[in-house]
This record gives sequence, C-alpha cells and structure tokens, in this order.
Amino acid sequence: MMHLLADAAPAMAPTQGVTIALVLSAALFTVGLIGFLVRRNMILMFLCTELMLQAAGIAFIAFGRMRMDTSGQVFVIFILTVAAAEAALALGLVVLLYRRRETLSAEAWQELHEQ
Amino acid sequence: MNPTDQLASAPLMPFYVAAAIAAAGLLLVLRPGRAAMRRAGAVIGLAGFGMLMAQGLKLAGPSDGSVSTPFYMAFAAIGVIGAVRVITHPRPVFAAIYFVLTVLAAGGIFLMLQAEFLAFALIIVYAGAILITYMFVLMLAHQSPEDEIGRIGAEDYDRIPREPLVATLLGFFLMASLGSVIERAPELAMENAAIAQSRATADRAAALQKLPNTMLQQAKAKEPTATGLARDAGGLASATDGAMVQVRVNAEGDAVRTVQVNPADAVDNVQMVGLDLVAKYPASLELAGVILLMAMFGAVVLARRQIELGDDERRKAAGMGSMVLDVPETERGGA
Repeated sequence: MMHLLADAAPAMAPTQGVTIALVLSAALFTVGLIGFLVRRNMILMFLCTELMLQAAGIAFIAFGRMRMDTSGQVFVIFILTVAAAEAALALGLVVLLYRRRETLSAEAWQELHEQ
Repeated sequence: MNPTDQLASAPLMPFYVAAAIAAAGLLLVLRPGRAAMRRAGAVIGLAGFGMLMAQGLKLAGPSDGSVSTPFYMAFAAIGVIGAVRVITHPRPVFAAIYFVLTVLAAGGIFLMLQAEFLAFALIIVYAGAILITYMFVLMLAHQSPEDEIGRIGAEDYDRIPREPLVATLLGFFLMASLGSVIERAPELAMENAAIAQSRATADRAAALQKLPNTMLQQAKAKEPTATGLARDAGGLASATDGAMVQVRVNAEGDAVRTVQVNPADAVDNVQMVGLDLVAKYPASLELAGVILLMAMFGAVVLARRQIELGDDERRKAAGMGSMVLDVPETERGGA
C-alpha cells in the first residue's frame, strides 16, 4: 500500500502532525473569517467562505486520523459536494448582481434593506 | 489568586501571545500602506504563525520520533501564506491563484494524514473545477482598470479593506478560543490511541471480508496455484485471526489451502472510503446527489437572462389575444 509521506507505523496517530494540522485548520478558518469581513469584492467574499470550508475539511481529516476512522474522510467528500453546489449558485447570483450595477463591490448593494 | 494572575499562569498564555503577534502582523499586511510596512507585517505575521505551531508542538508533548513533523510544518506555512495572500492581494485573479496554493498545501497535509484519495480528489475538485469556475466568473465580470500609461491597476474596492482592525480583533478572539481545542488534541489522541490501534486492523479486516476479488488477488500472491476462494455453508471461507485474515482457497487438484492475508496490505484508503461511503452513509450520499441536482437547477434559473416583458407580451404568454390591434390607442392609456 502507498504511504507516500505518511509515518511508517500506520496505527499510532502522529500526535505532533495532527496538532500541526489542527493549528493550520484553526488559522485557515480565522483567516477566512477575517477575509470575509475585510474583502469588499463579492466573488472574493465567497472565496473566503471556501477557505473556511477547507479548514473544516482539514479538521475532519485530522480527527479522523486520530481514531483511524474513515468517516471523517467521507464527510470531507460531502463538504466538497456542498462547496461545489455553493460555488455554482453563489457565482450565478454574483453574475446577476454584476449585470445590475456593473460593479463587484458589495457596497453597491448597501441600501438593500426595507424602506 | 486574582484574575490577572490566573490568566498569566494559564498554560495557553504563550498560545494567546503568539496569536496576538500573528494578528498584529496580519493587520499590518491588511492595511493599505507603504510596501515596507506590509513587508514588515508579513514577517511579523509569519513569525507569529511559527510561534503558534511551536506552541502546538509543545502542547503535543515529546516528539514521537517520526520524521514527518517538518513536512507538516512546511505545508502548514505554505497554506497560511496562500490564505493570507487570498485576503490581501489587490487583484482578484491572483487571489484565486493563491487559493490554489492553499488547496495544494491542504492536499499535502491530507496525504500525510493517510487520506490519499481525498488529497487528490481535493486537488482535482477544488483546484481543478471550483477554482476554475471562480476564474471564469472573475474574468467574465471584471476588467481591471488601466491608468493613463496602460499599467493594470486594481479597483478601489479591492485595494481598500473594510474595517481591518475590527476583523483582525475578531479573528484573534476566534483563534484564541480555538486554542483550547488544540490544547485538548494530544490528550484526545492518547485517549483514542487504543481505539485507533484496534481499528487499524479490525476495520480493514472487516472491509476485506466484503472484497472477495481483493482477497483472491492477495491469496494468489501467496499461493500461486489458487484457483478461487473456497466457500462453505456460511459463504466465503475466511476468518479473522488477530492481525491477519485467514483465507481458504481452492488450489489445484481439489485441495483446499489456508492463506494468511494482511488486511493492512490488502485494503487501501480508496477502498475503505468507498465502503464507508456506500455502506455506512447511503442516505447522505443520495442527499448529496439531490443537493447537486438542485444546485444545477438553481444555476440554470439564475443564469437565464431576465427580459422585461411588456403588457402585450405578457398577455400573449398567458394565451390571451393582443390588445394592440382591437383596442384604440386612446383607450389603452389608462391601463
């Protein structure tokens, strides 16, 4: 079987590696959240939500590795599915919004509230 | 003990300090200012993330002697650099390309966490499909402005961030609170070590029982004369014996031989994930299909160009006759 870079002993979870993966997951989620708040381009705001999904995926795989449980990996497949569906719908909406205002700035839609 | 002392003696204090340094660096990178400031911010932020990883390693306890830790750290650093460029780069197309870098780094981490199938699925689906969709829409919707001498610049809304200070503060608090999960991780790993140990062979042995072709292939490697799996009254004649699976095969001359197969060699990650997907979560799999179908319908509905219909076209679409011919111009004014 192929263990490309993985540890030689397959059963014991590499504690340090799993912890680094969790730190990366936390950092990516945080950066994604910050990006969602600071970015004003609608497409890039959605890209930042993809960053957060990515972080969730890494956490799933890391915890799954800890228990040698493939359920974590199965859930990442579902995350990929939802991410693909979200990208299609969100980008469709963004294109519609762009046609109305000819700008990608989220601030162009600031008055989108009840009068 | 007053609250300040309590905070200072908390084991996570260095983690919070590292998170604060990383947040300060990120804030400097985010603010549109002189290039030197942003470069200094990048260095500070990277140092902060390095300290975060060092704190994670410290919490993880003594090294288990594996050589892979530097690889994890390298991939993590690449991933975070890519992510920070995604949220700071003034040109959206480059931000999307840096997202690909983050996906590749995550793929590397997946590879080392023994999720080989997902590592490549992630790169193909994310970097290959989703990001290309983003690129298409970016290029469809957006043209970078040029200045008088033809240099390609960036839109104001891409250069100037919205509330970087508040966002970074929020990010710091999120990272600090996630620190307590990271602190518990090594403890969880120790608690789950026994489960992991037994699962590593037991789950694969159970999976091997459902894969007669793989079983036969492995048996043939050990016993070249094998012609097929032997069956008894209960079905395939195989049994789990500790770490090995005993497979009984029909050999030449009607002999039945027993071959030991190691499930860790026989069942790989793709087979495990596939079995889990269809055997353990079939309903979720169907639901995922429904989600994709609905997303496709939604995208088709959204992508249709909306055409404003006049009164006349609306009447025609509803199957009613046109008003234009039989109603005089003067009487239609009030409608």
